[in-house]
Amino acid sequence: MKLEVGTIRSNMDGFNRIARIAKETRNMLLDSIDLDFSGCRFFEANMVAPLYVVIARLRNELNDVSIQNVSSEIERILKKNHFFTVFNMASIPDNNQTTLPFKIFKLHAGEQFYDYLESYMKGRGIPRMTEALTKRFRQSLVEIFLNASIHSDSASGIFACGQFFPQKHRFDFTIADAGIGIRENVRRYTGNKKVSSCSAINWALIEGNTTKTGRQPGGLGLKLIKDFIRMNEGKLQIVSRFGYYEFSASGDAIEKMDHDFPGTSVNIEINTQDTNSYCLKTELSSDDIF
Amino acid sequence: MDDRITIKVADLIGSPLCISAEDGQKVFEKVEPLLKKGKSVTIFFDHVTMLVSLFLNVAIGQLYGSFSEEEVRSLVKVEGLSGDDMELLKRVVDNAKKYYANPKGYDAAWQDGENEDE
Repeated sequence: MKLEVGTIRSNMDGFNRIARIAKETRNMLLDSIDLDFSGCRFFEANMVAPLYVVIARLRNELNDVSIQNVSSEIERILKKNHFFTVFNMASIPDNNQTTLPFKIFKLHAGEQFYDYLESYMKGRGIPRMTEALTKRFRQSLVEIFLNASIHSDSASGIFACGQFFPQKHRFDFTIADAGIGIRENVRRYTGNKKVSSCSAINWALIEGNTTKTGRQPGGLGLKLIKDFIRMNEGKLQIVSRFGYYEFSASGDAIEKMDHDFPGTSVNIEINTQDTNSYCLKTELSSDDIF
Repeated sequence: MDDRITIKVADLIGSPLCISAEDGQKVFEKVEPLLKKGKSVTIFFDHVTMLVSLFLNVAIGQLYGSFSEEEVRSLVKVEGLSGDDMELLKRVVDNAKKYYANPKGYDAAWQDGENEDE
């Protein structure tokens, strides 16, 4: 079966195109799928993480997935960020060091994920940011990774990729999993089998809400990330099953996608020129906290 | 004589990364029995390079499930955290107080709007 990939950017259209590939191939087993890039004019490198969600699910059903008609420009981008190694193609050096390469992590590899961020963000061209911003960015990415570790139940692991766009002073990082989705987690937790993907995302975004069990507080991670993104004037996108949520300086919006994305993908885009200190003017003491 | 006990987090978990729930639980399981005996405890974060809410929820937030606010306030101190990490801890503590005041409240507060078939 041959399937058009099309142009993929970090937006609803891009996620819908990826979800459409999942839909068209849903029940395939021991089959062959060619991803046809002839209609792909641009591929935002971080979006390989959600694309791999679909590929991982297909390979899990022992399908053979290959690529064809990739333009030389897109081939260069996707070799530079190591994505094409999943098709047994060699990667090429990232001379400008604008990439955090595509990587597949085991579900509970939080520390390896942190090491990956350390090694690719430290002392490289990616990008010169204040210490406070770097710390909040990494903290946010680790929170997202841990959310996927705890909640996704993804048999194929967690997929990550980042791309710096120097002209725009923007850095996009995407963490995706081929798991059960936020909807299924919320359905199981609340016992309400009709919760929609969009309602489930809205539920997960409320401070204190968590599907974690065991009488422990939680549900802060996404709220902290939203607060950070608000101050940074960046962007947060959460895609899970049919739900597409986007938060930016212009507000937040949630929409139902045309197709079912078979997992969860969180993309954060930060403004790398941000000089906020991310700290209150008056320092808190131990007595102020408890 | 000051019999305050210091728990060095990085030494206890064997890592400068305070990120996993398991490591948070390790800290909680050291602090909780000491507080039960009425001991004062300092949780010392020196040499920690990464701290996230998941870890703090389990290590410190969870204390509010066993002890009153007054008990935690009088017995627990934290040291070695940067200003922004203190703010993170404050959010975690406020969230934990709310959670244990009414654990089911979070769920009940959610009124689902439109539930479409998917």
